[in-house]
Formats: sequence, structure tokens, C-alpha cells
Amino acid sequence: MADPRRPGRVARYKPPSSESSPALEDPTPDYMNLLGMVFSMCGLMLKLKWCAWIAVYCSFISFANSRSSEDTKQMMSSFMLSISAVVMSYLQNPQPMSPPW
Amino acid sequence: MKTLHIFIAVLFIPWSFSLAKYDDFEDGDDIMEYDDNDFAEFEDVNEDAVTDSPQRIITTEDDEEEATVELEGQDENQEDFDDADAQEGDTESEPYDDEEFEGYEEKPDASPSKNKDPITIVNVPAHLQNSWESYYMEILMVTGLLAYIMNYIIGKNKNNRLAHAWFNTHRELLESNFALVGDDGINKEATSTGKLNQENEHVYNLWCSGRVCCEGMLIQLKFLKRQDLLNVLARMMRPASDQVQIKVTMNDEDMDTYVFAVGTRKALVRLQKEMQDLSEFCSDKPKSGAKYGLPDSLAILSEMGEVTEGMMDAKMIHFLTHYADKIESVHFSDQFSGPKLMQEEGQLTKLPETKKTLLFTFNVPGSGNTSPKDMESLLPLMSMVIYSIDKAKKFRLNREGKQKAEKNRARVEENFLKLTHVQRQEAAQSRREEKKRAEKERIMNEEDPEKQRRLEEAALRREQKKLEKKQMKMKQIKVKAM
Repeated sequence: MADPRRPGRVARYKPPSSESSPALEDPTPDYMNLLGMVFSMCGLMLKLKWCAWIAVYCSFISFANSRSSEDTKQMMSSFMLSISAVVMSYLQNPQPMSPPW
Repeated sequence: MKTLHIFIAVLFIPWSFSLAKYDDFEDGDDIMEYDDNDFAEFEDVNEDAVTDSPQRIITTEDDEEEATVELEGQDENQEDFDDADAQEGDTESEPYDDEEFEGYEEKPDASPSKNKDPITIVNVPAHLQNSWESYYMEILMVTGLLAYIMNYIIGKNKNNRLAHAWFNTHRELLESNFALVGDDGINKEATSTGKLNQENEHVYNLWCSGRVCCEGMLIQLKFLKRQDLLNVLARMMRPASDQVQIKVTMNDEDMDTYVFAVGTRKALVRLQKEMQDLSEFCSDKPKSGAKYGLPDSLAILSEMGEVTEGMMDAKMIHFLTHYADKIESVHFSDQFSGPKLMQEEGQLTKLPETKKTLLFTFNVPGSGNTSPKDMESLLPLMSMVIYSIDKAKKFRLNREGKQKAEKNRARVEENFLKLTHVQRQEAAQSRREEKKRAEKERIMNEEDPEKQRRLEEAALRREQKKLEKKQMKMKQIKVKAM
């Protein structure tokens, strides 16, 4: 069989349009990011420890599901916000968290 | 989207408020107890309050029992009840004057009656105990986080290993067929990187180019999200497979005009709904492939019978039957433009761009529990892809088929134009109005009154001409109709 390769007809890789596909494919990291921020604000302002812990979880999940095109700055900022929410809740009220049951 | 976010935020805040109030109530309780203890101190010193003290003693006894059973840090309690201590010691041990205990006659009477009732042990609230055990919720949370991180690392590494195993197995075949294997699109020169592009922790890309017939081939290894613990748990309920998606972009001259798909029935139904070209050109339901010797699990969607006949040659049937469990869908199309776009009003004035494409979706065997060795079983499928590329170039419709295909495409275009006719009219109308407005503004802005008059006259003349033309056209149409 003849060599099917044609070095002269090489086309460069063009990443697919980044606008439409990410939002369509998987909204999880965006939702988790938003949820994380909402929970950490609740935890900070209303001094609820469980809110702050859930915020930490949300930011971890958002990080694990993130796409490569996403900003690391946003990830880091949501991380920091949720960790600060946890720390502030415990500084203000060092008592342990009581379970809801 | 934004309204949904605001709605969720608004819902959470009042709910947390109600729970916050709960905390306040507990704080109030603590303050109450503390007040009681404060008064207890003073009452023990006062002789007048001796009659009250038996009851006090009893309650403090109970507290003390509690204090001794629990761990050390009961300093506060013990300080308050130092006096009670002394008194209790006195009542229990024998060599003491009876005179001292005149006031305490009630006590022996009181205690038997108390003994009949069950002793209620007061629960010392958790926050007064200084032990690690009381922080068990926090420890649980941190353990959960550690488990998540562990799973992230393990999942990421597994996906990485699977991707490289796939690439190592397929490298030889790809390098013998393509001049460029692996390109990240960033290098100035078009040289083979020979590596996969990692888009994500679970998506890997590979671009191959430089072959007869095709512009290029994009291979996407879409693994399961093994790095996300939530996803892992969800997969325990609903098993899913890793997928390999291959998209070959053909040269315009190397593929004839047809739309054809074969795959699992479920996948075809979904594709027919989602894909623009399949929904427009293949309007029938997926047909069973049993006529051509395909297993029952596979179905066929085709624009016309001739295409199916041409595509289902011996070798293709051999591939499809032997690897039916790994094939999710195979889609050849000259009118491929991706999934149907969500149409917003006034946006679609042009047909979406189409490209001649061959698409393949394969399922990796193992249904989630894949090992790197399973990647070897996908190699014959890559051979099928290469064979399909060559076949697509060789296969040409005869005259009849070609005519049918052209008619179909014209029909689709006409339908599209009809749908957008109203929109295009509106767009043209708005453009005309804008032109008029711009002219009027120009006339208004002209300071020189002479120029203004002249421009106005010119505009009037133009409008009159237009009206005349329209009237002429109407007359012509009437004459023709007669």
C-alpha cells in the first residue's frame, strides 16, 4: 500500500470555539462555584458553621470538575473565601458544631 | 440563569435565619443556669437560707456526681460548690456533733423520698466539656475532605494512565497514517508533539493531520470523572463507560453528498433529535440492520437506500458485527454542522456552516472499571476508522442518487428560507428605517437653511420615485394576472 501520509497537506489544530461548548456541556463547576460563594457568605454573616463547611466542599467539587480554560484565580478566590468562612465561624464561636438531629 | 441564582440565594438566607435563632435560644439557657449558680453561692453562706439549702444540696449533689463522672475541667462547678462539699462531707461521715445537724432533719426525710423518685441526671452541655470527642462533627467533615482529596489524586492518576495506555497502543497505527500526530496549536511550526493534549482531568485530545482524503482527525478521550467523588458515587447508581470520540474532517472533493449513521438504537434516537443534519435529512426512524447481517443491537439511519447499500460492504459489516459492543455510533455526513442550535428570535438569518465529516463514538469496554489493557481492544476500531476514510473517498453515488441528494438539499434550504422569511423581511425593514432616520438627522443637523431645503427636496423626490415604481409593479402584476 502506498504511504497515505502527505506532509504537505498538514492542517494546524484549532481548538473548538470556546464560547458555546463549555456552557452547553457541563455547568457543574459554575453552579458549584456560585453555591460555594453563597454558602460562605451565609456562614460568615449568619455565623453558621455548617454553611461554612458546605462552602468548603462546594469549592473542592468545583475545582475537581473545572475545565482547563477556567481561571485558577477564581478557583483560588472561592477556596480562600470558604476557608475564611470556616475560620471566622470558629474564632467567633469555638464551640463544636451540633448535629441537626 | 441569573434569576435562578438570585432566587436560590434568597431562599437560603431566611432558612439560615430561622436556624440562627435556634442558637440564640441555647445561649439564653446557659445564662439562666449561670444565674442559678451565682445565687447558690450566696445562699450557702447565709444562715437564713439554711432551710432552702437541703434542696440546693440535693441539686448540687447531682451536679457534683455529674462533675466527678465527667472529665476533669470542672473547675467552675467545683469552686461554686466548695461549701456544699464541706457540708456533704459532714453529712456522710459519722464522728460529728448531732447538734450541728438540727436544721437538717428534713434532709434524711427528704432523701428517702428523693430516692424513690429516679435521679435525673442533668446533661452537661457539650460546650462545657473540653474534649476532642465533642468535636466529632468537625472531625467527620475533615475526614470527608481528606477522602475527597485522596479520591481526586487516585482518579486523576488512573485517567492519566488510561490515556497513555491508549496512546501507546495506537501510536504506531497513527504515525503510519498521518504526517502530524499531536499538535497543540500553539507552536509556530507544525511539528508532531507526539503527545496527548490534556484538556481536563478527564478529557484528552489528539489532533492528527497530513493524510490523503482528510483535512485532519481529532480524537477525544472522554473518560469518566474519576477525580470527582460525587461523580464516582453517582456512577455506582448508574454505570457509564469511558468514550473515545473521533471526528474526521474530510476534504471537499473527497466525499460525495450523503448523510448516513449506524449505531445503537438509543444513540441513534438521541442523535436524530440533537443533530441538525440527521433531523433534516434522515426523517425516518432508525431501521434494524438485520437485513445486512448486523446484530440486533445496531440500527441504521440513512438518507436513501442506495447509501446504505453502498456503505454496508463486507468489510464494514465484519467490523460492525465483531465490535458491536464497543460501537456507540458512526455518523457520516456532508452536511454536518453540529447539534441543533437553540434558536433565538431574530438571530438565524443564515444557514449554519456545514463541513464534510465522519464521526465515530466508541465505548471503552469495562463499563467504568477499565484497566490500561482494555485499550488494546480498541485498536481494531481505529483500523475501521482508517478504512472508512478511504471508503468515503471511493464511494460515489450514481446519477439517480445524486439527483435525489440534490433535491433533498434544495428542499432543506427552501424550508429554512421560508422559516426565516419573516425575520429577513423585518431585518430589511429595520435597515430601511434606519437609513431614513440617518438622512433626517443629517438634514436637521445642517445649519445652512439652503442646504436643508435642498436635501429635503432630494429626499422627497426619492420617495416619490419609489412610490411610482411600486405602482408600476402593481399594474404589471395586474396585467399579467389578467
